Amino acid sequence: MNSPKTVTIKVSRRFRASPERVFDAWLDPAKARLFLFAMPTGQVVRADIDARVGGRFLIVDRRDGEDVDHEGEYLEIDRPRHIRFKFWVPKYSKHFSRVSIDIIAVDGGCELTLTHEDVLPDYAEKTPKGWNMILDELAKLFT
Amino acid sequence: MTKPLDLTLAALADPTRRAILQRLSHGEARVTELAAPFSISLNSVSKHIRILERARLVRRRRAGREHLLSLEQKPLDEAAAWMAGQRNIWNARLDVLEALLEAEDVATQPKT
Repeated sequence: MNSPKTVTIKVSRRFRASPERVFDAWLDPAKARLFLFAMPTGQVVRADIDARVGGRFLIVDRRDGEDVDHEGEYLEIDRPRHIRFKFWVPKYSKHFSRVSIDIIAVDGGCELTLTHEDVLPDYAEKTPKGWNMILDELAKLFT
Repeated sequence: MTKPLDLTLAALADPTRRAILQRLSHGEARVTELAAPFSISLNSVSKHIRILERARLVRRRRAGREHLLSLEQKPLDEAAAWMAGQRNIWNARLDVLEALLEAEDVATQPKT
């Protein structure tokens, strides 16, 4: 009973943009800092991306004056189809989870499937449940 | 202390236990009724039922000499809500990405 039970989360999205543009956004610090790990109540103060297999990324989100590091390592990079990385938030847990991004071209755009494996419910419960807030914040940023 | 969600997910990780829950979703049943479709012993079915009870997915009541089991929906709903929350976090991030790329399109469109 002590072995941690993990969960896999999967989401898909159609984009009007080409596979290359959607792919590149994940490895471009200027874009990644805007959508990846940014919390609505926080502010990304640092986004370092070493976009190669074995390379690391560090995205630092400042929440209420507190810096929260999101660290990761790229496991697979195959432009423009596939990215796989592991990531962890040292502040909350040593546990790391893995994210796969798969992109296929569909007429005039692409479809992205994100698979987040090894999500630990115990840890996830400590992360803000504020996805409602995220959506509210989005509306403010992009209107 | 193990969290309720951990217990729920651990309980759901086994196909026999999922089949037991499936059966109970149609209504109350006796232990022997639950065991009937399985090739495993009554004893191991009882073990599965105990795990489901610990996770509060199954409730037991006594009617005379019989034990009747029924499904407890709440932990299932909570697990489903948690999963939906996790998916929503990623969906919100993809919303931002989509908006970013569309903003670029607008910015680079030739003015007519």
